Amino acid sequence: MGLFDKLAGWLGLKKKEVNVICLGLDNSGKTTIINQLKPSNAQAQDIVPTIGFSIEKFKTSSLSFTVFDMSGQGRYRNLWEHYYKEGQAIIFVIDSSDKLRMVVAKEELDTLLNHPDIKHRRIPILFFANKMDLRDALSSVKVSQLLCLENIKDKPWHICASNAVQGEGLQEGVDWLQDQIRTMRT
Amino acid sequence: MSSVPVEMKDGAVSSSKWLDAHYDPVANLYTFSSCVTLADLHGDGENKLVVGDLGTGAGNMKLKVYRGTGLLSENTLLDLPTGLVSFLMDQHEPRTPAIAVASGPFIYIYKNLRPYFKFTLPTLEINPLEQDVWNQARGDMIDPMTLKEMLEGIRDKADIPLSVRTLRFLMLEPQEMESYVNLHKEQPIRRQTVITCIATLKKNMADDDAVSCLVIGTESQDVYILDPEAFTILSKMSLPSVPTLMDVTGQFDIEFRIIVACRNGNIYILRRDSQKPKYCIELSSHPVGLVRMGKNVVVGCAQETMQSFTQKGKKLWTTYLPAPVTTMALLDLPTRGFQAVLVALANCEVHVYRDKNLVSTIKTQDVVTSICFGRYGREDGTLIMTTKGGGLIVKILKRTAVFDDRDSISGPPVAQSIRLNVPKKTKLYVDQTMRERENAVAMHRAFQMDLSRLRLAAARAYVKALESSLTPMSASLTEPLKMNAVVQGLGPSFKLTLNIQNTAACRPVMNLAISFLYDENLYSMRTAFFKIPLLVPGLNYPIDTFVECLSDKGISDIIKVFVLKEGKSTPLLTAHINMPVSEGLALN
Repeated sequence: MGLFDKLAGWLGLKKKEVNVICLGLDNSGKTTIINQLKPSNAQAQDIVPTIGFSIEKFKTSSLSFTVFDMSGQGRYRNLWEHYYKEGQAIIFVIDSSDKLRMVVAKEELDTLLNHPDIKHRRIPILFFANKMDLRDALSSVKVSQLLCLENIKDKPWHICASNAVQGEGLQEGVDWLQDQIRTMRT
Repeated sequence: MSSVPVEMKDGAVSSSKWLDAHYDPVANLYTFSSCVTLADLHGDGENKLVVGDLGTGAGNMKLKVYRGTGLLSENTLLDLPTGLVSFLMDQHEPRTPAIAVASGPFIYIYKNLRPYFKFTLPTLEINPLEQDVWNQARGDMIDPMTLKEMLEGIRDKADIPLSVRTLRFLMLEPQEMESYVNLHKEQPIRRQTVITCIATLKKNMADDDAVSCLVIGTESQDVYILDPEAFTILSKMSLPSVPTLMDVTGQFDIEFRIIVACRNGNIYILRRDSQKPKYCIELSSHPVGLVRMGKNVVVGCAQETMQSFTQKGKKLWTTYLPAPVTTMALLDLPTRGFQAVLVALANCEVHVYRDKNLVSTIKTQDVVTSICFGRYGREDGTLIMTTKGGGLIVKILKRTAVFDDRDSISGPPVAQSIRLNVPKKTKLYVDQTMRERENAVAMHRAFQMDLSRLRLAAARAYVKALESSLTPMSASLTEPLKMNAVVQGLGPSFKLTLNIQNTAACRPVMNLAISFLYDENLYSMRTAFFKIPLLVPGLNYPIDTFVECLSDKGISDIIKVFVLKEGKSTPLLTAHINMPVSEGLALN
C-alpha cells in the first residue's frame, strides 16, 4: 500500500474493500437484492436467472462491497464452496413464501456452516427472509425457527424481512453487516 | 412442520438421502399412481401437483391441484377417475398443458383448470336380437314379463354381450319393470365400454414440449390413439385381454411402442403398423406395477416379485420383495444420469431399485398407494406419495445424495467376480487326465476292491477288540460299562483318575475289580488292584490312584487298565493309558 493510499485511508477518503458472498436457493431473489443495493443509475431493469455467478460492486457510507452473486440453481450450487475462502461476510437469501423448499435451504445452510473454510471462522452472516410482501410468506421469526438459526453460536448473524422488488428491509440488513465488519476490523 | 425433526430421528438411514419437505397425514387424498401427475399448468416454471381424488369411492370425487404445500384449486368430478395425464394439445402460446381425466366412457379435458372438452368413446355393436326385442317392446307388442324372458334367453347364448340398460332391467323386481320399460323404451339402445388406462404419446417430435396424442385402453380390449386437437381416433388396436397398465414411447408419426399389462396376467407389446400385439410376455402372477427403464420393462407382480424383461420379451432378472407391491414409479434424474425404480410395499416401505439392487429404503408412516417422482415447484428430484389413510408425503432428494450399488444387501459378494490365478495345464496333467479318461472302469474297480478290503480289515480288528475286551466299552449285555481315564500332573508323580459308568437302564453291577498292568521298572503304583463298589446305573464313579515314575531318562510307556469280574478270566473291558513323559526328577 502506497503512502497516498494510506493517507487517503486515514482521512477516510478511500473506503475499505470487503468481499461478500451472496447465497441462497434459485428464485429466492439474490440478484434482485444486489441490484437494489447498487446505485440507481447502475441498476438493471430485467433480472434473469444467474448462470454460474456474477460479480457486483456497491458502496455504503464507510465500506466498498464486492459481492459474488452465486447462482442458486441446483446444478451450480457445487460452485459455492470455491468462493468461501475469499468471503469476509455471507448474505443468505431465503424465499419465505416457499415452505416446501425450506428444508432444502436448511440443508444448504448446514452444508455451508460445516464447510472447513467457514466452520472455524467468525464470519458474519446476514439472512434476508425475502418476498415478505407475498400473501403466504412466513415471518422472519418462523423462517429462523425452520432454519434452526439459534444453533449458530460462534458467528454473528442477523435476519431481516425484506421485499427486494420494492427495496424494503435491505438497508437495515446492510447497515448491520457494515457494523459487524467494522467491529471485526478494529 | 414441527414434526420434521422427529421424522429425521425415526428414519436415520432414509434421511441421509431424502429431505422431509412436507407431511400431511390428513390431506384427504385418496388416489392411485395413475391419477397423479406433475405439470407446469400456468407456464410460470413452477410445476403443480395434479391429483384425481377418488374421494370416498361413491362421491366427493375431485380434481385437486397443489402448489407447494397448499391446495391451489379443486374441481368436482362427475365420476370416478381411472386415469389422469397432462399433455400439450396445440402449438399456441403460452405453452400450458391441458389435463385429461378419464372416467367411465369419457375423457374430460381441462385447460387452465376449466372444463374444455368432453370426448366420448365410440359405442359398441349392439346385439340385433336384443334390438329386435326392444323394438317390439316399444310397439307395446309384448309385456315386461315376456320381454324379460326373451332377454334372458338372448343373454344365455348371445355372442355379443347385452347393453347396460338390458342388464339393469333383468335385475329389477317385477313391480318396477313396467315403469322402467316405459321410461327407456323410446331411447335407442347403446352399448358403451369404459376406459381402464390412459397415457400420452408424442405426435411427431421428441421434444419435452411437443404436442402429444392420448392413448387409451378400454374394457372392450382395445387401444385407441386420439388426435390431440380434433379428438378423432387416429389408430385402433386390439388386445387379447383387458389392458390395466400402459407405458408408451416413441412418436406417433414415426415409430412407437405401447407396452400393455393385461388382466389375464400377460404383457403385450404393440408397435406402429401392427393391429395385433407383436410380442407377448407371460407372467407367473398378475402385474401390479409397470415401469419402463430405457429399453427394458420392470414389472411388479402380485407374488411379491419384481421381474425385468427386454422389449422383445426376454427375461433379464427376478427380485424377491419382502412384502406385496402396492404401486411402482420411475425415478428419473436426467441431469445426474440416474434411473431407478420406486416400489411401494404393503409393509410401509418404499424401495429404490437400480436394476435388481436395492439402493435405498424409505420408511413411511402409512401404506403408500400412489407415487410420483419429478419436478415439483422448482425442485427437480421431488418424490410425492399419497397414503392409504389419505396422507400426502413430499420428500426431496438431497443434492449430495449418492446411490451406491454397494448399499444393497443382496447380490453376489465382490470376491466372486475376482478371477483366480489358475496355473496353466501342464503336460503331466493332460496325460493324467487322458489316462483317467481311458481307464476309468478299471480304476473304479480297483478302488472299490481296495475299499472293500479296508472295510473288511476294519471289521476284523473291531471284532477282535470286542472278543478280547480290549475296548474301553464293555460288549457284554449283563455288564454294560463305560470307562475313561485322565492323567494329571507333570511327574514324576501322576494322578490317574478312572471314570466308570454303568450304562444299563436299571440294573446295578456288582463284584467288579480293577487291575493295572505296567512296566515295573518304569512305574510304581501304590495300589495296583482294587475292588469297585456297586455301580448304580447312570452315575459316574471317579476312582483315583497315584503312579510314580521311576526313570529319569525321559521315557514313557503305556499302562493298561483291566476291569474284571469275579470268577471270570477275561476282562470286561480294557483301557490303554498313554502316560506322559515325566518332566520332574524323582526326589529319591
